[in-house]
Amino acid sequence: MLSFIIRRLSYGFLVLLGVLTVVFFIFNILPGDPARMMLGQRADQEAIDEINRELGLDKNLFAQYMLYLNDLSPISYHSKNAQDASYYSESKYGGYLFLELENSGIALKSPYLRKSYQTKKNVSSILFESLPETAVLAVAAILIASFFGIFLGLLSALQKDTWIDRLLLFIATSGMALPSFFVGIIFAWVFGFLLSDYTGLSMTGSLYEVDDLGRGEYINWANLVLPALTLGIRPLAVVIQLSRNSLLEVLSKDYIRTAKAKGLSSSKLIFKHAMQNALNPVITAISGMFASLMAGAVFVEIIFSWKGIGWEIVNALEKYDLPIVMGSVLIIAVIFVCINIIVDILYGVLDPRVRI
Amino acid sequence: MNLPLLEIKNLSISFGNDIEEHFAVSGISFSIEKGETLGVVGESGSGKSLTSLATIGLLPKSAKIKSGSILFQQGESSIDVLKQNENQLRKLRGNEIAMIFQEPMTSLNPVITCGEQVAEAIRLHMGYNKTKAKEEAIKWFNEVQLPRAEQLFDAYPHQISGGQKQRVMIAMAMCCEPKLLIADEPTTALDVTVQKHILQLIKSLQKKHNMGVVFITHDLGVVAEIADKVIVMQAGTIVEQNTTRNIFKYPAHPYTKGLLACRPPLDYRLKRLPIVQDFLTAQNKEISTVFNEIKISNEERTSQLKELYHKPKLIEVRNLKTYFPIQKGLLKKTVDHVKAVDDISFDVYEGETLGLVGESGCGKTTLGRSVLQLIRPTSGEVIYKNTNLRDLTSKELRPFRKDLQIIFQDPYSSLNPRMRVGDAIVEPMSVHNVYGNQKVRKEKVIDLMETVGLKAEQFNRYPHEFSGGQRQRICIARALALSPKFIICDESVSALDVSVQAQVLNLLNDLKQQFNFTYIFISHDLSVVKYMSDRIVVMNQGKVEEIGISEDVYDAPQKEYTKKLIAAIPKGEEIYG
Repeated sequence: MLSFIIRRLSYGFLVLLGVLTVVFFIFNILPGDPARMMLGQRADQEAIDEINRELGLDKNLFAQYMLYLNDLSPISYHSKNAQDASYYSESKYGGYLFLELENSGIALKSPYLRKSYQTKKNVSSILFESLPETAVLAVAAILIASFFGIFLGLLSALQKDTWIDRLLLFIATSGMALPSFFVGIIFAWVFGFLLSDYTGLSMTGSLYEVDDLGRGEYINWANLVLPALTLGIRPLAVVIQLSRNSLLEVLSKDYIRTAKAKGLSSSKLIFKHAMQNALNPVITAISGMFASLMAGAVFVEIIFSWKGIGWEIVNALEKYDLPIVMGSVLIIAVIFVCINIIVDILYGVLDPRVRI
Repeated sequence: MNLPLLEIKNLSISFGNDIEEHFAVSGISFSIEKGETLGVVGESGSGKSLTSLATIGLLPKSAKIKSGSILFQQGESSIDVLKQNENQLRKLRGNEIAMIFQEPMTSLNPVITCGEQVAEAIRLHMGYNKTKAKEEAIKWFNEVQLPRAEQLFDAYPHQISGGQKQRVMIAMAMCCEPKLLIADEPTTALDVTVQKHILQLIKSLQKKHNMGVVFITHDLGVVAEIADKVIVMQAGTIVEQNTTRNIFKYPAHPYTKGLLACRPPLDYRLKRLPIVQDFLTAQNKEISTVFNEIKISNEERTSQLKELYHKPKLIEVRNLKTYFPIQKGLLKKTVDHVKAVDDISFDVYEGETLGLVGESGCGKTTLGRSVLQLIRPTSGEVIYKNTNLRDLTSKELRPFRKDLQIIFQDPYSSLNPRMRVGDAIVEPMSVHNVYGNQKVRKEKVIDLMETVGLKAEQFNRYPHEFSGGQRQRICIARALALSPKFIICDESVSALDVSVQAQVLNLLNDLKQQFNFTYIFISHDLSVVKYMSDRIVVMNQGKVEEIGISEDVYDAPQKEYTKKLIAAIPKGEEIYG
């Protein structure tokens, strides 16, 4: 088991390396001049050169790539020359130099995602603020989808070919067909505007809100309801259909007949013998969807002004704020890899045949 | 008056609706006493499994009971199973009437431990607590002779062998000491050697606990080993019903005679196997007369063999080894090998049928595939037409593939369900670009289909429209499409009923006469291999145990392993014949 996890982690590391390489080259080959964007159109050449040197943009692409890797690596090489892009300063990198050489040093630090071109804030602190917002949203959406999805799927399978089954299938099919930006706008309008007197919900809003009376930030859970519902609709539809079909298939298996011949009650039959077998494909789907929700809640975040990572990416792209875009993509890749490893371990718990 | 344990009266089961009704079981009646074993014999589709499912109220929803009653003795009176509600049925199932199913591989829940699956039934019907139920389950594991019962309690089904799974199934059925045990083809999916042990086990348990047993099978040979009484079913009706001894000694119905005669005989050689139809068409034909007509005398056989082994060798296999690496650890280092084929050498003569026999897992399938280079051997030589096939690249092999064909075991899964059967046979012709154009090919395919006993109008049908035997004919036609010289039949009849098996074996032999093929015939069933082959290779754990003329191997086996295989063949004819 341990060797399996180590192997998966090293695969995951290679995947991340690939992602960051692709991301780096794509964004650095694109036209655009970060220095000029930071300083505005009327900046003088000297200031631009200064910025380019500081960011290492005067170097060739490969040297820039190595510099980027060096910034990301927890153990990194730094020059002691203040003019070099790799010059170590604690305010920039954090961490500490644990090995000092003549004119260079090796530092131990958390990955440095650089600073936003626009706000000069550290990308890691920007992501640190927006990631929890997206995570809360995605977790809420996926919980809605899994809980109701499996329950309704079970109901649909047990009531196969009755009106309940057909109704649920119709809902599931429509849920899959409706685009989230459309559902989002409709939800916001109906529940946040037309019915807002009854629901007490507002059309837009983030998890953290600033009190009008200046008493600081507070968490507004009510704001979570509409975006989470909107985001959860498609996964919910998929989970309903998948768990229904999977359960129906399992119920036709020989071992279910064996269990029946034993004289088991139907609840034992379904919850003990059938569910565990039926859930495997559902888990695959849920985990895949969860990972993509973490990454792709863009529409929903924009519609509800939810200041999550998708909102951040769109804003950064508009302003050509490359460090934020690259940092976000990297974080999303990390999330994908982690979720996949967790799911692989989960399979083993559910199905002894894939246990290692 | 003493009531029988189970009495079925005038039972009819149908499928379909009022407009188009199809009777799967029509008006059958029989009974079984306590401590008695009843064999129910018939081909697939004869209604025997439906009857047994009806007995524990597990008929599929599409099946309707049209008439009759199933009376199960409860103390002084009887209850009609068909009139019980779901709750009452649940108390009956597993507790009073238990069932063992055909496919041990799929009949156990893969995600629940073997022990729990047995203990669950004990807790349910006996009302024991967890620890007591576990003790009881382990007791039953020992009773069904499972090794290391304590460890097996926590094992998952995929971790144990097919025979062991069937023992777990038996333990599960027996653990609440039912009065009636229904065994639906419990040994059909198992090796002959394992089958023997399972039959002995069921027999001894039945004696010990004085149960009634209904034993369902398509193979009369198996019934002889276990049953007191036999009913023979055909197309939903009982055609004959008698004691086992009388069924074997004085079979009355032509269908019964056919079933008895179509098993490959062990003591003499036949030109062809009698089939059920022979008896159905010619009334009152006796089995012995039929056998005498088609027996091959010893002199004929000797001259046949002499002629055969004067011919040149078609294929020479030299020191063939196929190893599969076992990889472990972080870097997947190869720590050991599974030696599936371990240093095997033999020759195949032109026009010969070489039999390859052994239990599952002995490496016979890997050997067959290694010879054809479907699996690349680790080392050794396979010489065909002065070429070592192992030296060739896949591309260089292609022209040879035309000459060397294989017919697989499972006719259900070796045909693409979405491809018309005609197209499936045309495909290899198009791949190798023979017979010029599509039109000529189609004519050729229709020719072939007629050769293997199918009809030209079936060209555009899909595989699911055919029965198992017909599907195997399609697979045979597909193998013949390139007019090969050499065919490997890998367990090609193992999935078929005995009666259908006889037809397919006859077809293979007819084709051999017609086209002068050379076969390697692989099977776990020594009786089939002996009937088909000129020489037999007995394989065990990747090595050759013994090789020789089939009569010699059977009459005077040299190795313990061969003796064990021979002893495991069900010999109904010898017990009663």
